[in-house]
Amino acid sequence: MKTINILVLIFLFSTAAFTQSSFDDQFKLAQKLYSEEQYFDAVTEAKRLLFFEESGKYYFDAYNLIARSYKQGAKFSDAIRYFTLAEMNSHSSEELYRSRIEIIRVNILRRTTSRAFKLLDSLQADKRFNNKNNELTYWRGWAYIFADEWDKASSEFAKIDSRQELSSLAKNVDNKLYSVSFAKTISYFIPGAGQIYTGEYISGLLSLGWNVLWGYLTIKAFVGERIFDGVVITNFLWLRFYRGNLQNAENFAIEKNIIISNKALRYLQNEYEGLKP
Amino acid sequence: MKTFILILFLILSINIRPQDNQFNFNSPDNIRRFADFLFCDRDYLRAALEYERILGISGDDTLRFKIGLSYSCTGKYDYAIKNFSGINYTSFYYDNSKLEILKSNFLMNNFAGLRTYYRNTFLKKVKNFREEGKKLFNFSYLFTDEPLPEEDEFLSPFEMNEREQLTAFYNWKNDPPYKSGAIAGIMSAVIPGSGKMYAGEVSDGIVALLVTGVAAFFAYDNFRAGHTTRAWIFTGLTAFFYGGNVYGSVAAAQVHNAKIKFEYNESVKQYLEENNYYSPEYDFCSEND
Amino acid sequence: MIKAVYIFIFINLLAGIAFPQTDWVKWGKADIKYEKPDNFRHRDYSFESENVSGLVVKSAANAYWYFFSELDGDNCPFRPSCSAFFVEASKETNIVQGALMFFDRFTRDFNLYKRYKRYPRVKDGHYYDPVAMYKLDKNEINYIPPGVVVNK
Repeated sequence: MKTINILVLIFLFSTAAFTQSSFDDQFKLAQKLYSEEQYFDAVTEAKRLLFFEESGKYYFDAYNLIARSYKQGAKFSDAIRYFTLAEMNSHSSEELYRSRIEIIRVNILRRTTSRAFKLLDSLQADKRFNNKNNELTYWRGWAYIFADEWDKASSEFAKIDSRQELSSLAKNVDNKLYSVSFAKTISYFIPGAGQIYTGEYISGLLSLGWNVLWGYLTIKAFVGERIFDGVVITNFLWLRFYRGNLQNAENFAIEKNIIISNKALRYLQNEYEGLKP
Repeated sequence: MKTFILILFLILSINIRPQDNQFNFNSPDNIRRFADFLFCDRDYLRAALEYERILGISGDDTLRFKIGLSYSCTGKYDYAIKNFSGINYTSFYYDNSKLEILKSNFLMNNFAGLRTYYRNTFLKKVKNFREEGKKLFNFSYLFTDEPLPEEDEFLSPFEMNEREQLTAFYNWKNDPPYKSGAIAGIMSAVIPGSGKMYAGEVSDGIVALLVTGVAAFFAYDNFRAGHTTRAWIFTGLTAFFYGGNVYGSVAAAQVHNAKIKFEYNESVKQYLEENNYYSPEYDFCSEND
Repeated sequence: MIKAVYIFIFINLLAGIAFPQTDWVKWGKADIKYEKPDNFRHRDYSFESENVSGLVVKSAANAYWYFFSELDGDNCPFRPSCSAFFVEASKETNIVQGALMFFDRFTRDFNLYKRYKRYPRVKDGHYYDPVAMYKLDKNEINYIPPGVVVNK
């Protein structure tokens, strides 16, 4: 009787083990396709595993793999959907945390940073993850970079000893950025000044020239009591070029800022070796 | 002895199990089950690719038909037609597949192809869905410049409740309310802006009249005041505004015609979509299936 | 806290409702860029035209852009802008027809009444009003309804 029991047990174990190994193989196939950058097919094979495997053992890993594949294909909504499914099938708080971080990274990457901040807040408020503060701060820094708030990014990275390099990079960008409101404000008082501030000297001088000319002609017309001419010149020429001057001051500052931050973003994407969104 | 049996059993189980109990994800049956799941999950491209893997092994026509439907749903109508065309005469889905070929041609805007197929194949080989096919055939005339069939002939396949709408479509196509570019141009030549108003752009017409009028007035006023240079500048401007408006009125009539034709086509397409192009609903995904 | 988590999950799942359509076309690795797009207009000052009238029109347009248009603000509600429309129209037809088309466009530019009901838009919000609509060639007219955002 005892022997039979043992035999049955061995029989059952071996069956289970082999079935299990074919599920393992299937998961490895999906992983292999992922590593070969065949992301569409990786999703197919992971879905196949999910369809046949009913115990739930692979749910977390398979959903995660699908999500990462979609992320590589820039299908960010789908990526988030599957990271969420992974989160729902997580077996431990560590797995839950990891999926949530992945969702945050996707939100950073697609510049929906307000969502990233909300999720970071919720993780930071969760006592289970008290020991993760450095990592959460790190991603908060990245979220600020993608939210274009380089000064805040700098102070976040400054809180982590090992991230001083990122802190000074962000600080450096912030120092180089032009103040859009300053550019516009000085152009209110001296047309062209904002453009000159952003380094667009010729445009600034031309703007100044036109505004001086139309201002002069307007005053001359009114002084000469040619009211109609005065109104026409003010309305159709002077105000037009004055408004254009303000628009240019603002646009040049914004555009130059994009160039400055893009240079840093290119560096971060291509040269920086730490974890990235 | 006992130990011997045990070891024997263990060895046997190791040797035999791999063949017996390895779960085979890629058996034809499992591929089909997975494909059916993908199909019902509306993951149509993957479904089609999976069905295609087993088409050579268990090449029944339901598979081919579902491949056709999958491609049709993803907008790959040429692939859909290729698969629908391969369905056997004896198949349950034979007539459906022919109707789906008409629908796919319709969705590809291949109206000439649709008509040829209808005349040469559909009419000769299909028993069911003859009314539906005829409806699509007649609808195709609403999208091309070929002469329309007679009204009675056009309306014949449609039910009474559809006829009012179909008559409206037919009449529009028969005599579209287009505006004439020549009339628009002549009108604007006589009264600036009036051609634009005729072409449906009332506000543009008013603006054109005002702009041309003001430029002309300035020209006149400057001539009267003896400012010859200014006067000639305004005369030139008036001429360009006047000429531009005549030209623009002809163009506006053409744009108007393109607009109403677009809106007409959209409403016909919407009507067809609401009727699912007269194709039946297939029940591949209900619980009992 | 738990409630908030479920709301997040719910929102994230909602975001993917249209999911299967993503996979209706086989996709691969995407080139994801950290950089922000620079949507500012950069005018094409190059001379491409081979004939004299084209060269004259383009020179005039370039001078106008450099000394006036770049400095007097964004006044044209359309894309292509009136001057670019003139250059393109002259290039695709001839200088006389181009001038007539330009004056027609210029007149429509004065009309502020319900433009949003007439023209589609480009991404930055300007109304899309291409030359092809007004060349008097029916086959070139591609009507796009208002409200549509054109990827130009």
